[in-house]
Amino acid sequence: MDYEIKKAWGVLLRLFHWVYAITIIVLLVTGYYIYRPWFGLYQGGASFSMALSRYIHFVAGYAFMGAIVVRIYLFFFGNRQERFLDSVPVTPRNIKNLFGTVIYYLYITDRHEERLGHNALFMLFYIITLFLALVQTLTGLYMLFPENLSLQSMGLSLFGTQQEARLIHHFIMWYFIIFTMTHVYITIWNDIEMPEGLISSIFNGKKFKTKKA
Amino acid sequence: MSRNLHEADIDIGLTRRGFLKGCAIAAAALGLSDAMIPRLAEAAASAQRPPVVWLHFQECTGCTEALLRASHPDIGRLILSLISLDYHETVMAAAGKQAEDALEGTVKRYEGKFVCVVEGGIPTKDGGVYCKIGGRTAMDILKGVAPKAGAIIAIGTCATFGGIQAAMPNPTGAVGVRDLIHDRPIINISGCPPNPISFLGTVLNYLTFKRLPPTDQLGRPLFAYGRKIHDQCERRAHFDDGRYVERFGDEGHMNGYCLYKVGCKGPETFSNCPAVRFNDVEVWPVLAGHGCVGCTEPGFWDTMTPFYERLPGVKLPVGKGIVQGADSAGKKILAITAAAIGIHAAVGAGKKMAKKKDGRKTGQKTEETR
Repeated sequence: MDYEIKKAWGVLLRLFHWVYAITIIVLLVTGYYIYRPWFGLYQGGASFSMALSRYIHFVAGYAFMGAIVVRIYLFFFGNRQERFLDSVPVTPRNIKNLFGTVIYYLYITDRHEERLGHNALFMLFYIITLFLALVQTLTGLYMLFPENLSLQSMGLSLFGTQQEARLIHHFIMWYFIIFTMTHVYITIWNDIEMPEGLISSIFNGKKFKTKKA
Repeated sequence: MSRNLHEADIDIGLTRRGFLKGCAIAAAALGLSDAMIPRLAEAAASAQRPPVVWLHFQECTGCTEALLRASHPDIGRLILSLISLDYHETVMAAAGKQAEDALEGTVKRYEGKFVCVVEGGIPTKDGGVYCKIGGRTAMDILKGVAPKAGAIIAIGTCATFGGIQAAMPNPTGAVGVRDLIHDRPIINISGCPPNPISFLGTVLNYLTFKRLPPTDQLGRPLFAYGRKIHDQCERRAHFDDGRYVERFGDEGHMNGYCLYKVGCKGPETFSNCPAVRFNDVEVWPVLAGHGCVGCTEPGFWDTMTPFYERLPGVKLPVGKGIVQGADSAGKKILAITAAAIGIHAAVGAGKKMAKKKDGRKTGQKTEETR
């Protein structure tokens, strides 16, 4: 069987992916520390472990926000695979692909539609994740600037009090832990099942596709 | 006034020193410069005392008690001499019909001018029958008095957001004043009890500048509720440095470390408690070694319990009334996900092995069966 190399992901998308991935890990670790500080560094040694965690959490939060903006930009101005209609399950083609992928992932069939970009199932969770990421940044900003009155009216109308925003922020943290875990697993699974070089494609942007005769 | 009023040997008058001290405290709480103190004193000493009607509904009288039973009674005395208290069920001498006549008279005589102070939540369920005074429901009394007031001050968390009786399942349908009255200016002095200084500051602000102080989006005056407790706390350095009380009575607790891990709600509560403190004896809960319980916030009780956990308990849809910690719910979902991933991978590996066996039998490569 012959394969050809095809360009799948632009540089901006790859950059987005890695900023998103690294900030999520950093935010999860520092965020959990802020929620439940499980150690104090050198007690009494002026280590400022909480102040440092909060600082890193906020810086990473801003990078995370930047990554979200880049991804939304790419939905409209990215290459063909990166655009909104290519894989979001709103078109008949993508809805068909969504169910096809579910069946394929459940080992019911071996047949699946080969795509250069994302499959629709992934994209569905991608959209949910992006939406929750947005909620996460809004609750985060609401808690970060408690004295800002316009943020207060936004927070009160969308989430409730600071404490309720904190609870929402905390629950979405669990979503991100589970999403990260599932995402890494399903990527490795796909890389084993299909010889397209999925994992390396997020580094070099290229995929191997069967040459059509 | 910390003792009984009828004990004749106690002078209930206000000394000049106490009066100026009260004005200075109020100026500090309002964030005004000391150059403003004479103006505050002038306004406070003027003959025009605003008539005040003080309504009690579903409450414990704790807010009134906090006001009257300060160890140095100056603040309480100052407030009572600043205003003309025409109706107050706890301290008024009149009773029965006389009392109700006083209320009616004030409302009629000073329509649009008097200040209506509300203490306590208002039950709305079943026509509001759960709180009746003189045969009238709390809702009825409030609807008769509040729309005619020049300004409304809701004092205490019950009157502002419903408070304790509005906690789940809220059997009496209790709500705060702001949920019932929409066409009059309302100042919310929340807290359980609120600091008398916040009330005094609001009244003095109203007398001096002839307007109500600026508020946040929940109607709480910014001078008192503009900042979080956490950001003004004297234990904040311990928080930043990662030094926490792990359990009440442990070494960290004895050393005065941060109470964050034993559920202090200071990081999500707006109030001036750490700056102004209580009862003129310079204490407040966190200084005494107990975490803040978040009493000034809407949804106090439901969103702030359990008091010794960081986040409120969460009702899971499965199982009746099981209140699980937010965390254990997350950990369970995480474990289920991990199990699902494991099963999925195992099925995949099993299927591959089975396919390889089949492939060998028919002499085909597995790749081509796709």
